[in-house]
Amino acid sequence: MLGVRLSGTENGVVARAGSRLRAGRISRRRFLATAAVLAGALPAGCGRDAARERPPTDAEVFDGLLRRELAAGAAVAGLAGAAAVARQDERHAERLSKVAGSAVAGQLPDPGGDLPGALARKQEGVFAYVDALPQLEDPDLRVLVMRVAASEASHLAALRLAAGGEPVPDAFAGFSGVSAR
Amino acid sequence: MNASAAELFDEARTDEDHLQVALHVEQVAALAYAAAADGPLRGAERAQALRFAEHERRHAAAFETLLFALTVPVRAHAGPEDLDALLPRLIDADRSDALRGLTELEGAAIAGHQLMGRRLLALDALRTVATVMAGGAQHLVVLRHALGQTPLTHTYETGR
Repeated sequence: MLGVRLSGTENGVVARAGSRLRAGRISRRRFLATAAVLAGALPAGCGRDAARERPPTDAEVFDGLLRRELAAGAAVAGLAGAAAVARQDERHAERLSKVAGSAVAGQLPDPGGDLPGALARKQEGVFAYVDALPQLEDPDLRVLVMRVAASEASHLAALRLAAGGEPVPDAFAGFSGVSAR
Repeated sequence: MNASAAELFDEARTDEDHLQVALHVEQVAALAYAAAADGPLRGAERAQALRFAEHERRHAAAFETLLFALTVPVRAHAGPEDLDALLPRLIDADRSDALRGLTELEGAAIAGHQLMGRRLLALDALRTVATVMAGGAQHLVVLRHALGQTPLTHTYETGR
């Protein structure tokens, strides 16, 4: 989804857009969006359904996050030595469920039990939390999502560390070089 | 958490202010990891510090790009005096103190990023802020592990 490095060509695009902004030919908001895309800050489609007539409510966003969290939690629950992470996942799901007001909790996917699968589900969860942030109206909920996202990212590092791997292979917690999802 | 860095975030008022502080803290963090690698850390920890210094430079570049998008020129870059202001005498610290100092700085950055989650008006920029925060949270795991701290992770990672 997000690549944060700019190539020379991309830098040129930003510079030209900056010139047009200063000349008043494009809006500041449009420029910001352009540069953010090039910086990898905006995923294609922004995670929204273009056909939607209204933006999702915060509860609806949380409902989607809850489903991701449950999938990641189930994948970790089957892993040996990951009990602490699994407990934290359960607490995430409980909190998300309260905000979502949904009854998804309890409908757990089948446990995974293999590390690559657990890491993949966790990474998808981090993508989803980050993707959701601009959709949330309530600032307190944005902070909550950031805290859970940071926790999930730390789970990835802890699981890799426990398995003897490089705990932080990417500066941006897996977002580098991911251009679209 | 590093109180000086926390104060910088707290005093910021505009999107530009917050991004400038975030940029500054990442630049200082890059200097801090490099200083720790040149000073108290050895072997695998030194190599990890050098990797994290590069991560922090990339984080700083991401904030620089966002500031550029806001048409804010970035002229100042953090130097040794800025490192000394946030982490005094890091180069002369012993291993544990250096790791604790780095942990506190990472924690302050994470808390600052989450404050930005509450305050930023340019919500699209939050994605970039959050990816940097997530990278910092992963650094924290490694630092806590090196210090023998438990638990390595928290249900809600606040940096504190």
